[in-house]
Order: sequence, then structure tokens, then C-alpha cells
Amino acid sequence: MRRWVVAWAAAAAVTLGLSGCRTSISLPYAREIDQMSLMQAMAVDAQDGGGVLITASSGGQQGSEGAGTPAAVVYGRGETVSGGVLAAQGAGESYLYFGHVGQLLLGQPLAEQGISAVLEYVLRDVEMRLDTRVYLTRGGQAGQAVAAAAQNGSAADRLEAMEENAGLLPHTMPRTVEQVLEDLARSGSSFVPAVTADGELAADGYGVFKEGALVGWARGEAAYGVNLLLEQVEADVVEVVRSDGTTAAVRVVGAVTSVRPVWRNEELTGLEIACRVQANLIQGEAENLEELEQALARIEAARIRQALNVSQALEADYLQLEQAACLAQPWNKKAIGQQFELPALELSLEVDAQIGRSYDAR
Amino acid sequence: MFFEKKRETEVPPHPRREPRIALPLSLENLKRTFCGCVDFACRDVALAGDEARRITLCYLNGMVKMERVSDYVLRPMAQDGALAACPSMARVMEQMEAGALYNLGVERREDMDGAVADLIGGSCLLLFPGESAALSFNVGTEEKRSITPPGSETVLKGARDSFVESIRTNTSMVRRHLKAPELKIGEHIVGRQSLTAVDVLYLEGIANPETAALAAARVEKMDIDALLATGNLEEYIIDRLATPFPLVQYTERPDRFCAGLAEGRVGLLIDGLPLGYLVPGTLGDFLRAPQDKSNNWMVASLLTVLRYVCMLVTLILPAFYVAVVTFHQEMIPTRLALSIIAAKQNVPFVSAVEVIILLVAFEILQEAGLRLPQSIGQTVSIIGGLVVGTAAVEAKIISPAVLIVVAVAGIAGYTMPSQELAGALRIWRFVLVVLGSIGGLFAMMMGIAVLVGHLAGIESFGVAYLTPFAANGGREVEGHPILRQPLPRTKLRPAALKPRNRRNQG
Repeated sequence: MRRWVVAWAAAAAVTLGLSGCRTSISLPYAREIDQMSLMQAMAVDAQDGGGVLITASSGGQQGSEGAGTPAAVVYGRGETVSGGVLAAQGAGESYLYFGHVGQLLLGQPLAEQGISAVLEYVLRDVEMRLDTRVYLTRGGQAGQAVAAAAQNGSAADRLEAMEENAGLLPHTMPRTVEQVLEDLARSGSSFVPAVTADGELAADGYGVFKEGALVGWARGEAAYGVNLLLEQVEADVVEVVRSDGTTAAVRVVGAVTSVRPVWRNEELTGLEIACRVQANLIQGEAENLEELEQALARIEAARIRQALNVSQALEADYLQLEQAACLAQPWNKKAIGQQFELPALELSLEVDAQIGRSYDAR
Repeated sequence: MFFEKKRETEVPPHPRREPRIALPLSLENLKRTFCGCVDFACRDVALAGDEARRITLCYLNGMVKMERVSDYVLRPMAQDGALAACPSMARVMEQMEAGALYNLGVERREDMDGAVADLIGGSCLLLFPGESAALSFNVGTEEKRSITPPGSETVLKGARDSFVESIRTNTSMVRRHLKAPELKIGEHIVGRQSLTAVDVLYLEGIANPETAALAAARVEKMDIDALLATGNLEEYIIDRLATPFPLVQYTERPDRFCAGLAEGRVGLLIDGLPLGYLVPGTLGDFLRAPQDKSNNWMVASLLTVLRYVCMLVTLILPAFYVAVVTFHQEMIPTRLALSIIAAKQNVPFVSAVEVIILLVAFEILQEAGLRLPQSIGQTVSIIGGLVVGTAAVEAKIISPAVLIVVAVAGIAGYTMPSQELAGALRIWRFVLVVLGSIGGLFAMMMGIAVLVGHLAGIESFGVAYLTPFAANGGREVEGHPILRQPLPRTKLRPAALKPRNRRNQG
């Protein structure tokens, strides 16, 4: 009996020591949940004199009596993200807990300098999560946008609403820190959804990153093209003008894209990109659908072409075309990796639209 | 081990007196033995009206049925001419023993121990002048509670009889369910003061004879004052005392008892207790409800899975809540975390203390409800659960989240078919809460590992307690360990019971 007790106690001690939560004492920290403030959005901006400015915001919490509590915003400055977060800790009334940060906003100036340090902080920090959604504030500081949003709700609430409605927004899609880190590690390029730098935090295309720094934008039609290429379309409404001058509205409900490498004498010369768009007629006469399908295909092809043009112009494979080509022909992976020069590749595009059904009550 | 050591050092010897009454059998010694006993009665009876030949009748009032004494003993003695014609008392005694009196059972007693035991057991004694022996006739009363539906085991579909306090009635009920002559019933007398009959039942050719012998040996080895409560037997025959988990299954339903016997288990019946025990008892047995075999196999399987889930919920949920709220807040969905924070505002206690307070209050309420009459008990439960709980939440003494967690854990515990198992889980629930408040999920998981190790180390009559999960005698499990298979497909008895004949159907 006593032997077993000793054995179990020893096993417990060893296991707790392996937990790694603390270096000095093996047990993790105990903190009462009601004595902490849950930060739900964090903004990181570059300061003029160097270093970073951290702006953290809680959500618009509902109090126990149902009254809404305004989002708390705290600031911290430091040479590094860790330093800034530590400084912000001192500014809060209670312990700031970053384990529930769901949105990470990056200011444009910081993005132009590089976001690798910020993403690495998220990767290594014990509280931050890799599934945190990352956003880029276009044309301004992320902290100001977060503070402005906190005046009427919170940045987290606005961005969460946008994420929930992402299917209805065909020109944006949420991206996690993990996805961006994966893209950067794989191809050196990635993209991050952009939002306006005011309190509205409206979707504004994508920022394209190369080697960890912002190098360009995919906005407007190019942003739609990104969603089509990555099959992230659920309810895009496209207005199509017929040859007789009437306008019909179709809802694009899906897109299936394939990328196939093109070889000539064992040399990679281009990529064949095929996109099959599925749509429903939602307004207009259900006649001559073939004409509508052709018109829709032209519109969507133009969008995809713009997204591809951004990629070639910036020499940034932010759409991960190389990986798609490798997945299509895994036996040629090595050759594709060696010969993949995006600007030199001929990108042929074929878009096929299908209008499957309509709601003709007659 | 600790208990054994204590017994060796502190407990004085307790030798058994043999014989218990070291006196020759005689009327004077019987009177001396029962001196001060108002129920002891003696009467001299003249054999066939011959005043010169008197026989003494002794009995204990209340223990014998007067009509039987009058009709089957006194009337033949008064009227039988053949008895009157016997030349000597020895001859009279022989005639009576041979059947001159109309009684089913007669025993010749030659010592005080046997005679006194018979008197207490409801027999009357006939003492003959000049003879050193006495005749004992069983004329005991049959006053007992009638057979009623089981009180603690709800029956929806199935037999509605239940065991009563009379062991002979109980064995007769078992005989009616299992008419096989292979049903063996061995009897042992336990308790120096209570002299309680304990019967060991098993089906010869099916049950493992070693298990039957082991059960009989453990019962025989018991040397206690009185076997009056269930614990008096359970704690003496189980393999391990240092565990809160039940190792012996009990039931008040004869059909369930007989199903266990037919499965190859060994049964125990105790005089004075309306329960039947089945050994060995493994964890899976305590999670099977009596009506499982009456339900559709799919419904029964679903309910069994539900019970296993509830077992985990009642065991882990409070500790998991404490660990997550105190150490692993990142595991809580954000909106739920915000709700918990809002609910916990102004509550003065830390989460672990809150949970422990409420668990203790839950135990107190449960105990109060059990000790009171049913109608008042329900009132106490309602007042305690609803009024006090709501008031405590409104007074910010505890948070609603903790109330929900403890209530869910408590209700989940009530789904356990065995309240002994539920009790063991309650003890471990406290342990895990304390561990969870010390080291979060790491400590909680360590506690669970210790619990699993503890369970894996227990045996019940040579069968691993975690059978068939952890051990099955090296054999493949027949059917599914949790789900109930259709009965026509379950053609083998559990291998872990080591039955003599594994096939249970054609």
C-alpha cells in the first residue's frame, strides 16, 4: 500500500514537472476568471521613433444586470510586442488576459516594415492563439481604428460580425495567423484581409505580403478574383447585362478552381487555371440562360485575371499557385519547385459558368 | 494492511466459547439459561392423562405458533393410546421421534447449545424425566412481511416480487425462478449473538466452484457479534476494504438474482435482510440496470452509454469547471467566459471554494432528504435545492454557473443504477475538485490516472474489477463491453466468471 502511494506521488511529481507551464514551480498559475479582463482584439502599430504600440480592447460586455459595458481599451508601448503587452498589463485595472484575442489588427506602416515579429509573438506566446484572425488596417494605424470602434461597441464585435457574414461578402475572407504563417513559410507570400482604418472597420480587399512585408494590394475586382480562385464564394450577386439591354441578377453560390501545370519539353511554361462558377438566377427572365452564363463567365474571368495580374506584377505567389500545381501533379513536385518563376509563367484562364436554377413561381 | 496491524497490536483476543453453554441438557439448566426471560415458558403435560408420566414442554412465547403446538404436539400426547402404552420414557421418546407426533421435522438434542438454538429458532422442546436428551419440534411462527413489489428497483416490465426478511421464503422464490435441481443452497450460521443464517447459492455445473467455495469460506470465517446490517456481510467477504467502490452487487429482485446465478455468479441470502447478494461484482455490473434486458437492445445500449457518460460527468464536471476557470481560461469559449465572469461578479469566494461549498451543501441536502420521511424529504429537497440555491445566487454567495455545474453533476450521479457506485464517485469527485484547484487539468488528470490505477488493482472474488475493459482472463470479450447485444446473439456466459459451462443457449 505504502509502496503504491510513494510510486504514485513520484509519478505525479514527475508529470507535473513536465507540464512546462512554469519554469520555477511546476504547477500552472491559478487566476480567478472574474479577476481578469478578457481582451478580444489587439492592434499592433509601428511607432515613429521605433518600437511598437499595442492597443488592446475587450468586447462590449453584457453586465450581470443586462446593461452593456463599454469596451475597455488599453495601450502599451515597447520596443517589442512582448514589451508593449507587458506595458499594457500595467495600464489595466485587472489582469489582462490575451487568451481570448480573436482579432489581431496590424497597422499599414507596421505591415510595410514587416509582420514576422508580430506573428512569431502570437506563435510563441502561451496565451495567444494561432487561430486568431489577422487584419490589416489600410491607410492608417490599427490602434486608432480599434479605439474608434470601441466608442460604439468594440472592434472585436464588428470584426466578428464581418466574419460571420463572410459568406455574404465575396471580396473578403477571414485569415488566421496560422494560415498566414503557413503561407509565408511555404512560398514567402501571403495575403491578409484589409479593413478601413476608421471606426467602421469595413472590408477593403486584401493586402499582399512578400517576405513578411506588405508589398501591394488586391482590391476591388481583384479581391473578388481572390475569393473565386480560393473557392470562397457563397452568395455573390452579379448583375449581368443581356444583349437586349435588360439586366439580370445572378447569385454566385460556388466556385471550383483547378490549377494544372503546363509542360513543354520538360520545362514548366505556364499554368492552366480552370474555374467553374455555379450561380442561380435571382432576378430577370429565365430565358436564354446560355447567354447569361457566357456573360457571367466573362465577368468572373476578368476578376480572376486581375487577381492573377497582382500576383505576377508583385512576383508574389500569395494565391499559392505553386502548391496547387504540385497538388495537381505531385510526381512533378520537385521540378515545379525548381522551375516555378511566376512572372515568366503563362497563366491561361478558363472560366465556365453554370446557372443552375431559378425561382420561377410561374 | 493498516487495519491488520492495528488489530495485531491493540485488539485483545476474542476466543469463541465451545460449547457455548457447558451444562448438561436438563429442565433446570434450561430455566437457568433463560432466567430473566419473560418469554420462556414451560408446561408439564400428562401423557394420555396419566399423572404419573409427565413430559415437560418448553418454548419461547412469540416464537412458536400456538395452534401448531396444540394440534401437532399436545393433542397426540393427550390422546394417543400407543404412546400411553409405552413401557418407559425412552420408548415414548423413540415413538415420538419415529412419527407419533404429527410434525414434519423432529430432532433429538443432547446438548444445551442445540436445544437452546432450536428454542430460539421457533421450536418447542419436549423433555422426558430421566432422559438426558430432548426432542425438538419445529413449530415456529410464519409471521413475515408479505411479498411486495421492490421498493428501490423500479420495475417497468418484469416480475414484481421482491425478497422479504425470511430467508426460507427467499430461497423458495429463487427455487420458483430456477427450478433446476442443480441449484445448490448451502447454509452457514454467522454471528455469535444473532446466529443469522446465511445461504450460499449457486448453480452446480455453471458457476465456478472455486468462487462458490471462496464465498462459503469467507462467510464461514466471519466471527462477529451480529449480522444485522448489509455492511456486516459485505465488508467481511470483499477482497479489499480500502476502496469506496462496491465489490458485491445486491438486489431485492429475485429475477435479477436468478439471472446472476444463471450467468454463473454466486448468490448470498441473509436471514432478516430482504436482499440478495451476487458475487463477483465488477464495474460493468454496477452500470447495468435491471430493466436493461427487458428493454429493446438498442434502447438498452443507448441508456447504458448514457450512464457511462453520466458517470464521467458526475465524476469530472465540477473538477473540470474548477480547473478550467482557474487555470485554463483559454479553453472556455469567449462568450461563455464572459457569461461566467458576469455571473461571478461580486461573489466573494474563489471558484474552488464555491464548488466545494456547494458540493457539501448538496451532500447535506441529500442526507437530510434520506433521513426524513418521504414527504418531508421531498420538501427539504425542494426548499434546499430551489429556495436556498436561488437565494444563495441572488445574495452573490455563489455564482449561477457553479450552481448549474454542481446540479448537473449531482443529477448525473442519480442515473447510476447502484447507489454504492454513486457514493464512491461522490468521494472521488471531491478528490478531483481539490486536485483541479491545486494543479488544474494536469493534477486532475493525475487524479484520474490514480483512480484508474486503483480500479485496475481491485479484484472481486478473483475477477478484475475493470472486467471486461482491463482484463478478461486473456480471452476475447463476448459481445460488446458496453453495448447490449441482441440476446439471441449472446451465446456465451462472461469468460471472466470462469463458468463451468460457457454456452447459455442453443
